[in-house]
Amino acid sequence: MKIAVISCIHGNYEALNAVLSDIDDHNVDKIYCLGDLVGYGPRPNAVVEMIRALDIPTCQGCWDEDIVEGLNACECSYPSVLAEKRGKLAHEWTNQVIHPEVREYLARLPLSLRDDNLCFVHGSPHNQHEYLMPEVDAFVAMERVLSTGADILFCGHTHVPYVRSLDAGQLQIRVKSTDKSEQDMNFSAPLKRIVNAGSVGEPRHGRPNATYVIYNADTDQITLHEVEYDYQKTCAAIVEKGLPPIFAWRLARGMEFAERADDPTHVCER
Amino acid sequence: MQTLDITLVAAPSGAGKTTWIQQQIHSIADTAIYLSLGADETLIDAAYLSAEVPGLTVLPVIQLTDFLERPTVGCSIYLELGFHIDLTSLILPDQIADCRRVAVLPPGTRHTEWHDWADLIVTGAEANFTLQHPHLWRSALSGQVLDLASLNTFWYELTNGAYGTVQRAKGIFDVADGRSLYFDFVAGFSDTTHLKLNLPFWLNGRPDRFSGIEVVGEMLDQEAIAQTIEECCLNDQAIAYYQQQIKNSLEPGDEVA
Repeated sequence: MKIAVISCIHGNYEALNAVLSDIDDHNVDKIYCLGDLVGYGPRPNAVVEMIRALDIPTCQGCWDEDIVEGLNACECSYPSVLAEKRGKLAHEWTNQVIHPEVREYLARLPLSLRDDNLCFVHGSPHNQHEYLMPEVDAFVAMERVLSTGADILFCGHTHVPYVRSLDAGQLQIRVKSTDKSEQDMNFSAPLKRIVNAGSVGEPRHGRPNATYVIYNADTDQITLHEVEYDYQKTCAAIVEKGLPPIFAWRLARGMEFAERADDPTHVCER
Repeated sequence: MQTLDITLVAAPSGAGKTTWIQQQIHSIADTAIYLSLGADETLIDAAYLSAEVPGLTVLPVIQLTDFLERPTVGCSIYLELGFHIDLTSLILPDQIADCRRVAVLPPGTRHTEWHDWADLIVTGAEANFTLQHPHLWRSALSGQVLDLASLNTFWYELTNGAYGTVQRAKGIFDVADGRSLYFDFVAGFSDTTHLKLNLPFWLNGRPDRFSGIEVVGEMLDQEAIAQTIEECCLNDQAIAYYQQQIKNSLEPGDEVA
């Protein structure tokens, strides 16, 4: 079985189209989507309609949640005052243009999806706002995968694709009982992996190309795909629709707008 | 009439006028007067030098005439000319007319109006002369406090062409932790310097000292630059919050304004 995993489309219909036709060429059995269908980009409704028309199983991203629940992300999830102001502009614009049935669809999206030993989430199994950066502490990374019971955790949210193998993990615990006796225990963690699909519509790897991944369960191979598309068309639409032109400038350079917060694993309790 | 030790310094944008003056004043290790002609709105070079060079007095242009009537004896005077001042039509007060004229030019520069004008040519930094119609945009920001992460984002965008082609950009910004930072960019050099000025931490409300920005470039989207800077600025409540945090974490010996 071969599956394609896409994430973070952000209203970029041109990029989504290019990625879907690239996926077509690879004869996959199923496509999964990790959310953030809307936000920043100029065609949020068209993106959602396409995902729905193709019946692609999708989990809810942070932007999808914010459009449904109202902007609830705390300011600590923005890395700067400037990013916060621009993020709010994008949110307000999206909130105005989104169709009611699209909002209802986003509201119904699940937070995670399972397929056998695979788990799909937007940010992390704990929260769609949490960033699992490639350099996140190995213990934290392992905990996130183990909490799902799956062997491979697919996530997005960072807009930078990566594959991280957690092998030869050794966990040592010390149990102190009330009678003051102590017991040391050692566990070997089985091989687990975190696969970040990058971003279709707002890549942040230094080039404007869209990224996604294909997982071949038969060969246990993960391949990262980078797809060129007519990003100038999206850039022109951003300006034409009255979104801040700086979004277009950053998109053309492969710089996602919302840089991550200082503490990427911070989850707001609000 | 006594002879004054006056040096007039001219150069294209980014060639290193201010740096050269700074070196001269350091080498004479004495008191000096500095005046910038053509930078009367934002005074970035003046603010930078007065923070970084002990013994230097910055003289506002309006006090020049008074000063020349009653000059300080034994003091070197450096007059920096803005790059956009036309040297051929520049009319100087009589007392200055026979001063030393220095042009700081990028390596390999030949046959320019600076050569005709100057008594001494100093080789400065490599600079980019490609712009046909360089335009100067400047804005005073005194009293504003910026969020540093936002400022870094803005500076990256500015110096990488998001708001038009930029040949030169410099700025002095007060940031949330009380520091005054000097940013300096010359096109063609990937490293943009960012230096903490030798000034006290400002931790009591809006800073009552100079800050501002100056950009030389082409096709500059001035409105977008101004708006982005505004979006980097903190409101009174945020300023008070950060200042309180910094006050609580100061080391003994930190100088606070």
